Amino acid sequence: MQTTHSSADTDLHTDNLRRAAIDKSVKGPVLFLFLNGAFWLMASTILGVLAALKLFAPSFLGDCPILQYGRLQPTHINALVYGWGIQAGLGVMLWIMARRSGQELKNGKSLLYVAGLFWNIAVTLGLLSILFGGNTSMEWLEMPKWIWPIMLVAFLCFAWPMATMFGRAFRPEGFMISTWYILGACFWFPWIFVTANVALHCLPALGALGAGINAWYVHSVILLFFTPVAIGSAYYFIPKVTGQPIASSQLAQLGFWSLASLSGWTGMQHFMGGPLPAWMPAVGALTGVLLLVPVGVVGLNHHLTTLGKHDLVATSPTLRFTFLGALFYPVSGIMLALMSAFSTGATLQFTNAWYGFQIVAVYGFFSMCVFGAIYYIVPRLTGCEWLSVRLIRNHFWFSTYGIAVVVVTSLVAGVQQGGDLNHPEMWDQDFMQLVLNTRPYIVARAIAWAMITWSNVWFLIHLILMVAGLGRRSSAPTLLHHDHEDAAHPHGAHA
Amino acid sequence: MSAPSNSFQPDSTDLDRLHSAVKREKEDLQTGREPAPVLAMFLAMIVAVIAGGQLGTMTGGYSFGTSNPFGFVAGQDPRPGGGDDVVAMDPFQSAMKKGANSYAVCGGCHQGTGNGIPGQFPPLAGSEWVTGGTERLVRVLQHGLIGAITVKGQGYNIPGGMQPFGAAMSAGDLANVLTYIRNSWGNEAPMITKEMVEKVRSTEKRTAQWTMPDLEQYAKANVPGDIPAGPGATASAAATPAAK
Repeated sequence: MQTTHSSADTDLHTDNLRRAAIDKSVKGPVLFLFLNGAFWLMASTILGVLAALKLFAPSFLGDCPILQYGRLQPTHINALVYGWGIQAGLGVMLWIMARRSGQELKNGKSLLYVAGLFWNIAVTLGLLSILFGGNTSMEWLEMPKWIWPIMLVAFLCFAWPMATMFGRAFRPEGFMISTWYILGACFWFPWIFVTANVALHCLPALGALGAGINAWYVHSVILLFFTPVAIGSAYYFIPKVTGQPIASSQLAQLGFWSLASLSGWTGMQHFMGGPLPAWMPAVGALTGVLLLVPVGVVGLNHHLTTLGKHDLVATSPTLRFTFLGALFYPVSGIMLALMSAFSTGATLQFTNAWYGFQIVAVYGFFSMCVFGAIYYIVPRLTGCEWLSVRLIRNHFWFSTYGIAVVVVTSLVAGVQQGGDLNHPEMWDQDFMQLVLNTRPYIVARAIAWAMITWSNVWFLIHLILMVAGLGRRSSAPTLLHHDHEDAAHPHGAHA
Repeated sequence: MSAPSNSFQPDSTDLDRLHSAVKREKEDLQTGREPAPVLAMFLAMIVAVIAGGQLGTMTGGYSFGTSNPFGFVAGQDPRPGGGDDVVAMDPFQSAMKKGANSYAVCGGCHQGTGNGIPGQFPPLAGSEWVTGGTERLVRVLQHGLIGAITVKGQGYNIPGGMQPFGAAMSAGDLANVLTYIRNSWGNEAPMITKEMVEKVRSTEKRTAQWTMPDLEQYAKANVPGDIPAGPGATASAAATPAAK
């Protein structure tokens, strides 16, 4: 790993062999996670379409209680978060951690398969329970309470080898930025998950504070799992593809430590003005706004790293997805700040904007970075190249437009909804009328999810073909420029 | 996905075949030493000031009057008369507004125009049942109505009749919606107050739906009570200020 430009060809060859061996050692578990994750992602997007349709056309799909909005919506979000998000995130974490630490996955691979299997069984049973009426009515924790110990143990089975790999690695100072974030996510998620579940499921009912803890859980999973995994992935792949070193280790450290120290304080501001001790929403609002600092610092660092390499965004699928995902980080950060600050949060509280924030964080930011990682990792594990430029373009553009529509319409609908509800002149208006006024935005949301579904059905098929070994047999990467240019640069290194 | 043995050592042929992607990778580089720009630090300070401002509103200890982030609590109540000056609200206008919201339930049959559907649902606009005796009108809504009836010279006989709404509505809601139908679509008749509805409820204990012959005795009778505002307001309440 520590090759220098002056090293002999034999050194380079040995290093290649070492990385190939690392890839081979994590191949099975990583592909298992990606494939199952992509399946749940497709399921989640289909449920997203159905839920949005049910919201503006309640008679659609009839009276069957399983297919009502109240059950479809939490199933959609839980499939996105646990089926796709955490699962695919673990795959990316495992591969980057192994590569970056220079460690093969020595043993315990069968344990990873079993853990992955149990994770998927837990997600399946949990989602079915929601559909059949077992919803706990706690946001992002709608699955029945016996699910969480299974998920926790399965997660720890993956976190443990990653932590040991980090422990064994040779760690020159300032060299391990992406693995800091990934190691952080390994520890933070179990902490959040245990705290929220114990507080909400095992302690006697907490009343208003329980709602606050629930909001803290959603914020923390976004800020202390999805965000670090996505940033870690971007910090790994942007330099890897561009060949530029990360611009500033000082900015990287500032970004990491501010995220790590601030994120756990957010959440309670979701209930600003509610029956919680005043300091709780105040601290949440403070940190929600202050989190603009890591957003800006990481964004600046990525910007300085990609400076002058923007042409690669057009050609490399990995860089294109990662770049877009990294662009969505500031978007999600600004949305969080707007919802956290008291002046704007009073309007956006309890509106569609909250859904928009969840989706921009989990799909726009996190998933886009993970797609970028998957486009890089999978060819190295399966030994064949992505089949079709068209399918990758299809995935990128439909996802991009879809997520942009979801985010913009949710935010605008939130401003309108919250503004109307809070407006003094509206004191005698019917609540239902204000809900009906957001109908155009919900129609747009249904169309947007249909576009995202389209992109992800093809992504799943593409991924299945790759895992089945039916990809292109070639030593040239699948790049996004015109086919004749492919031949002109057969060894383009930026794939 | 077979598990490789720990002694797995790919030779170069394997590498060429399986991992050509690995060979074209760029090496991992040491992170740059560029210092953080001063401008970034300055912007971070501005963010910190705005964020700190969120704490400023919450320094009132346990007093909700000061320890809450929303300045508009002390603002003017938007309702006519500022909310606390109840006398200033015109009861007739208020009843009309609230009644219009509740009418959504009635509109399913009697239609938004109040004209009903010829041959099926009788009209409310211009109906002698609506503008006539309030004893009869309150009873119809309270207990429902069944059988053949005549409205504006037309015969109607809906299977099942009109359902009783009294059990599901408060006296105030019932009074508001009745005031609304008595003063819409060209109708004009004195308002029905909450007290009048309560008076009927306390005297009339019927459980079955009414029929037209049963109601004949109430056709011209009005429930006694003050009419605070609107058409036919009684002198006792005439001092009430008009609506804004």
